[in-house]
Amino acid sequence: MKFFNFLVIALFLAITSCTIDKTDYEAELGSEVPEYYEFKEAASFTSGNYKISIEALNGAFYKGYNEIHLKILNMQTSQNISTSEVTFLPVMSNPDGNTSSCPHLYNLKYDAVNKYYAGYSVFTSESATMASWKLYVSFTSDNQVYKVDKDVAVEKQSNKNLNMTSFKGNDGEQYFIALVSPQKPTVAENPLTAGIYKYNKPSNSAGNFPDPSQFSYSEVNGFTLKLDPRMPEPSMGNHSSPNNKDLTQQNDGLYHGVVNYTMTGNWTLNLIMMNQNGLILKGTVVPTDFTPGVEGVKSELYIDTLF
Amino acid sequence: MKYTVIMLAFFGIAATAQNNHTHHDSIKNLEEVTVKGAAKKKIETEMKMAVSVDEFLSSSDNISFIKRGAYAWEPLLNNMSTERSTVTIDGMHVFGACTDKMDPITSYVESNNLAAIDIKSGQEGNLHGATVAGSIDLKRKSTAFSSKRKWGGAYQSGFEFNNKQFFNLGNVSYSSNKFAADGSISYRTAENYSDGNNDEVKHSQYKKFNTSLGLAYKTSDLSSVRVDAIFDMAKDVGYPALPMDLSLSRALITSASYKQLFEEGLVRVIDTKLYFNAIEHYMDDTTRPENLVHMDMPGWSTTYGLVSKANLKKNSYSSEIQLNAYDNLSIAEMRMYPQDRSKRTMFAYSWPWVTTRYAGLSMNNSWDISEKSQVNLGGSLGVNYNYSKYVEFNWIFHPGAPQEKTRFLPSLNAGYQLNVDHFNFSVGTGYGHRAPSVSEGYGYYIYNSFDRYDYIGNPNLKNEISYEGNASAGFKNERFSLQGKVNYFYIQNYIIGRILSMGSPMNYQSVGVKGYTSLDNAALFNMSLNTSYDILEHLHWKGTLTYARGTDNNGENLPFIRPLSYQTSLHFMHKNFGIQTSVNGDFAQINYSPEYGEDQTPAYTIWNLSANYTFQINKVKSVVQIGAENLLNEYYSTYADWGNIPRMGRNIFTSLKFSF
Repeated sequence: MKFFNFLVIALFLAITSCTIDKTDYEAELGSEVPEYYEFKEAASFTSGNYKISIEALNGAFYKGYNEIHLKILNMQTSQNISTSEVTFLPVMSNPDGNTSSCPHLYNLKYDAVNKYYAGYSVFTSESATMASWKLYVSFTSDNQVYKVDKDVAVEKQSNKNLNMTSFKGNDGEQYFIALVSPQKPTVAENPLTAGIYKYNKPSNSAGNFPDPSQFSYSEVNGFTLKLDPRMPEPSMGNHSSPNNKDLTQQNDGLYHGVVNYTMTGNWTLNLIMMNQNGLILKGTVVPTDFTPGVEGVKSELYIDTLF
Repeated sequence: MKYTVIMLAFFGIAATAQNNHTHHDSIKNLEEVTVKGAAKKKIETEMKMAVSVDEFLSSSDNISFIKRGAYAWEPLLNNMSTERSTVTIDGMHVFGACTDKMDPITSYVESNNLAAIDIKSGQEGNLHGATVAGSIDLKRKSTAFSSKRKWGGAYQSGFEFNNKQFFNLGNVSYSSNKFAADGSISYRTAENYSDGNNDEVKHSQYKKFNTSLGLAYKTSDLSSVRVDAIFDMAKDVGYPALPMDLSLSRALITSASYKQLFEEGLVRVIDTKLYFNAIEHYMDDTTRPENLVHMDMPGWSTTYGLVSKANLKKNSYSSEIQLNAYDNLSIAEMRMYPQDRSKRTMFAYSWPWVTTRYAGLSMNNSWDISEKSQVNLGGSLGVNYNYSKYVEFNWIFHPGAPQEKTRFLPSLNAGYQLNVDHFNFSVGTGYGHRAPSVSEGYGYYIYNSFDRYDYIGNPNLKNEISYEGNASAGFKNERFSLQGKVNYFYIQNYIIGRILSMGSPMNYQSVGVKGYTSLDNAALFNMSLNTSYDILEHLHWKGTLTYARGTDNNGENLPFIRPLSYQTSLHFMHKNFGIQTSVNGDFAQINYSPEYGEDQTPAYTIWNLSANYTFQINKVKSVVQIGAENLLNEYYSTYADWGNIPRMGRNIFTSLKFSF
């Protein structure tokens, strides 16, 4: 039995004495990516008998794309309103009185399954002393229009996979591209979702503030976002990945494609935005050469990610 | 006669008699072993008595080596790489933990814990599992039980001047009626070697520690149990041909076996062994400040297995049946560090937790048709299962590839041998499948510094299917012998790396991405000619000529095919004194493969010389040897030297051995 003991001890030593631990892959993937799994209340207002609650991921608004769920509760009947027309307008103002908005869904849609009004807001900047954000919400109940507004804080988006960019296209229009998912990419084929929005220049002069016609944004339709992901780290020499798919618009209005990340780390999504007619509105083709030690040239339209 | 040996060697566990019934076996120095039932001959070559496992293997005709430095050479059997052969230790499957093949299994044993190396060509090697090229089984020392208490042992030490290699090898054995034990311990340390221009080849140092223990206990007159363990540790090993070195590799190879013999009946021996081995391998590039990217590349390989073997014999019929089953988990990671170390590191798996399970039943039968002729018929059927835990890595290049894959691996072989007077002839044929290796199936950005491509595995690869024919003819009389052997492999779905049009390199030295692909077919031809002549009573001459040719489906050359090569040696022995000299070399490599990163390697010739003297101190037999390899200090590299790294220049070696 002596030798069996020896064997057992030897086995034990061998199993437990690895000098380098194996990487905990799950932890590795999560190390740079904060998780936003749950919708929580990010803002609430009361108006008369109604309580309006706006939920966003993690209970906060961040720069970039924010999916919002809005519920209106009649506090007397404890019933949620589901038949109202609900409008939503985020407005940013400077201390000198200038106001602007950001891509958003003005007329929220009622989601009968989940029982909330759904929309989104792509905040273009974080709240700062020079920029404060206010939400304007209106709804009708019993033929009465209720209008409420509230200051909200827009926080820094620390998840780089939800980055956004805004730019002026070659057609002179103002465009916005915001990453929607994946929130937590992996070394794999990742379905990539982004929203592309455009600022609709007002054709009439401003009415009573806040006049939604002055703050009009829309999803652009039928565009194509050509994708070329590369690693910006100089030593990676402009490394790229295969089998990526350009982003095209699907029924949800968002743009869907595939990005393959071959390893964790910093990535740059080099983009070329083309309109319905294939005309390039922004973006340049990047060199595909492998250039160890030299960071690759980025497209004039790009979004950085990190995981 | 084969199984009378077994009966003689009742508890000679080393003496598994599978080795002496075919002429194709390249087993070296085992004649005595099979006859006496105990390992008497040591692992040594004609030139050198203190050799590494690699040096010993290289003395075999159908073994050549890819060399990435002075340590851990990758054995090529029939000019095929290790994926195509099964390399086992006493039938146990062990898999290296390095994606860059820095650690072939032969690097985890040491010459003083081996009794013999059993090499079988082609499908004759299917006993240990599915193969194309054949099998290499490293046989450990195992002392037989003896009626009297007996101690034995040897100690060997030596110094090699070129790379200041200093080694100490010791082994002891004990046997009694009920109990037998073998133990060995060894330590080798070497500095950088110098090439034929007396230039130091940087990063060619190594340190290797190896110890083994085997304990056997006779549970009854006809049964015994045995436990074995090998622990091997290599540190600070340089690989001059690679962009990184090894900081540490460790292997623990253990087994427990039960053996039952039968005095009567068809079944004569059943030997069942459970085994476990764990290998960890940590590459290190901190020794290479010139590297643009610092990278950690640890690897782990863990295998559990069962090998159970039965020997059958009835009249002129004898048979070996072997059941092999194992479960291997291979993991390899790579983590690249950005130049700004505060930034995020970049991580990926080069082996994304790949499980390989294999179960197979093999059988080799032989009939002695007459005194002069024998027919061999064998076959095996295996099931190979792969599972890639992080299959999303594989999906990047192969979207939708299955996470699990089961393959059936059949194998058949047949042979006929005829001995007429001084002549012997044999013909044989074989058919067999093999599954892709972990790297071929599931590897991810494995950098190959030979052709400078990153390699991507393909889970959808088909089985490689080999059709094989072999023949040999020989003549032998008291003074002269001549033996010629040829074999030919026609391999369908030959797996090799082909440039991919997609993806871009990940490793900064790389020039592109290759994916493992199946060529429609490839063909390999190997030939060897051995001759010996006893010129005088004490003066013997030997000569060997080998030639090989490998082509793909377009008639293009395959890489790592040995050009025409020769070896000739003279051996003079008188009383206690021996002197031997040999000349070996390759002709120019005409059929090289630029497509796979090869350039033409010129011809070279090496001259070696050694002398030894044997004396007795009391009961201790002592041998002292001095010699020189590459006496003329030729500057050369062979066709299979990774990145054309030069081989060692003149190397004077000395060694001293005591055995009792």
